[in-house]
Amino acid sequence: MSLLKIENLHATIDGKEILKGINLEMGPGEIHAIMGPNGSGKSTLSYVLAGRDGYEVTEGSVTFKSKDLLELEADERANEGIFLAFQYPVEIPGVAGMTFLRESYNAKLRHHDEPEADAMQFLKMVRAKAKTLNMNDDMLKRPVNVGFSGGEKKRNEILQMAVLEPSLAILDETDSGLDIDALKLVSEGVNALRNEGRSMLIITHYQRLLNHIQPDFVHVLAHGKIQRSGGKELALELEANGYADFAEEAA
Amino acid sequence: MPDGLVKAIPFEDLIAAARARSQDGWRADLNDQAKARYHVAGWPHARTESWKYTNLNALAGSDFTLAEGGAATGAAVPEDAILAIDAPRIVLVNGVLDPALSNLDALPGGVVLTRLAEAGESDRAVMASLLSEESSTDGLPLAALNAATLSDALILDIATGAVPETAVHVISVGAGENKAFAPRLLIRAGEDSFADVIESHVGGGAEVYFSNSVTQVTVAKGARLGHYRLQNEALGAFHVALTTAEVAEGAVYDNFVLSLGARLARNEIRGEITGARVEYRINGAYMASGTRHLDNTTFIDHAAAGSRSREVYKGVLADASRGVFQGKILVRQDAQQTDGYQMNRAMLMSDRAEIDSKPELEIYADDVRCSHGATVGELEEDHLFYLQARGIDRDTARRLLVSAYIDEAIDEIHSEPVREAMKQRASDWLAQNLSGDGA
Repeated sequence: MSLLKIENLHATIDGKEILKGINLEMGPGEIHAIMGPNGSGKSTLSYVLAGRDGYEVTEGSVTFKSKDLLELEADERANEGIFLAFQYPVEIPGVAGMTFLRESYNAKLRHHDEPEADAMQFLKMVRAKAKTLNMNDDMLKRPVNVGFSGGEKKRNEILQMAVLEPSLAILDETDSGLDIDALKLVSEGVNALRNEGRSMLIITHYQRLLNHIQPDFVHVLAHGKIQRSGGKELALELEANGYADFAEEAA
Repeated sequence: MPDGLVKAIPFEDLIAAARARSQDGWRADLNDQAKARYHVAGWPHARTESWKYTNLNALAGSDFTLAEGGAATGAAVPEDAILAIDAPRIVLVNGVLDPALSNLDALPGGVVLTRLAEAGESDRAVMASLLSEESSTDGLPLAALNAATLSDALILDIATGAVPETAVHVISVGAGENKAFAPRLLIRAGEDSFADVIESHVGGGAEVYFSNSVTQVTVAKGARLGHYRLQNEALGAFHVALTTAEVAEGAVYDNFVLSLGARLARNEIRGEITGARVEYRINGAYMASGTRHLDNTTFIDHAAAGSRSREVYKGVLADASRGVFQGKILVRQDAQQTDGYQMNRAMLMSDRAEIDSKPELEIYADDVRCSHGATVGELEEDHLFYLQARGIDRDTARRLLVSAYIDEAIDEIHSEPVREAMKQRASDWLAQNLSGDGA
């Protein structure tokens, strides 16, 4: 049974069609990579799945855990187990990182009619997870992402993912803006979260992230459609040949 | 303004009622002098510069009767409206001290309270001079009206060198429907003293009333005074408050005002810095919904060299509410090495809300550092989505973000327990006023 099923998904922003019939099916525990040139609709797909306002789905359907995903608000999708790791995590002045994590965590518990977490135990759990990502207490106390470097922001995304334990993580250009060391640290963080119940959709322009996080399937997205699907060797082929082939197909 | 003399001026009946009660010749004289100043100043109208954004027609057109003094009102202190602070209380009901609701016996050492009614000859001289002093060139008609209709006046003296072990909490309760009252508080912080005085202005059952208060502060050399006010009046009330604060060499004055209530409220602060090395801090936050009108008007007079002033106001305006911020800093020719900072930030939660912001610097010295700014913004969709994408529903996300925004202003307060108490009331306001999209 699939965890996520996208069928003939069309979406527009400001009346302009960006997604032109996406089909994609993911099973539990599978890692899928979506690669494509700039402007191919990669980020749009991640936002449409996460439920951002401003995108209009004009055709098609998305089923997540047998539910109509498109009927849910962004926060409901998150609480159902969808996690979007942002390409550009925003800075939230005045909201301490720990407060933010606790609000998120408790929102999910409430959504599933479970009692809220014990504050001390929660703190301990977060600290332990933060440590594996080289994040200290100071980073948890500071306002969310404020004054963080690009690498710190991405690590913070992975920490949130580790705490919230989603069943589908969408990693939107997680490698952008990372140097080699940061890329390694973030990838290790992601790999540590791999398990048979957790699927990941990795959206990336470059192949280099996939050296660190090995996908089961690779899809090429161009001009709002998945043009080709294959195994991880497809990523290497793209690295060698670029996206030129797909530009021609669309023309 | 010759017009002011011939035009009808409101509240003559209140003045007459107050005058009739002042059997004592001394108080009657004060009433009469204040009445004359009130007539000269005239009622603020649309062309009165300092009132150009705040229209008082609705106040002038309302009928009030002068609140009774001294009689037992049966009023109680609304505990969920005042600042929740563990401190002895001085409770005024309709502007008059209510000893039964107060803990006058528990006032900390170093703090002495004197009532106008019980004032001896020496205190009378002080009060007489203070009550006539605000007849400045700016003409503060409501302050003159306060003196002409005085409910009660209290002097709070903090002794030289005193460090009282607790703060003192002055609570003004509006408990009479359609009543007007005019409390006056004088705070005198003695040299090298270190104290906190808190004011909570709240409604105690009445919906419509008019509180016209004046607080006069002097901070002597080397003293530190925290002076914190919550304006959480009943939602049909009119609240006009003037605070004057004169701060001497080496002293710290830390003022904060949180405005949440009233149909129309004016928080006016006029400060004078008379010595060097003064830290003059007037900060605040205002939160309005419905069609409320919250006005913060401040004036800081740097009359001496080598002092600092800091002013940060932040506001949240929902629905069709309106905020006004007027902040003037005057740096006189001799006030070299002045360091002044002023900022007003407003967040509009609806496209019907409005903020009028008027920062003003008037600088005659040539070696100063002064900056000011004003911003208007709204909640950022990027921020809301980020929180929603982590499972936080939209209403909670809005409250979380607005709360963080306002807390930044509240964090200016030096006293930690007061900060927490202010945050609690701000958070209550958010829970009551920010649900749904508001727009």
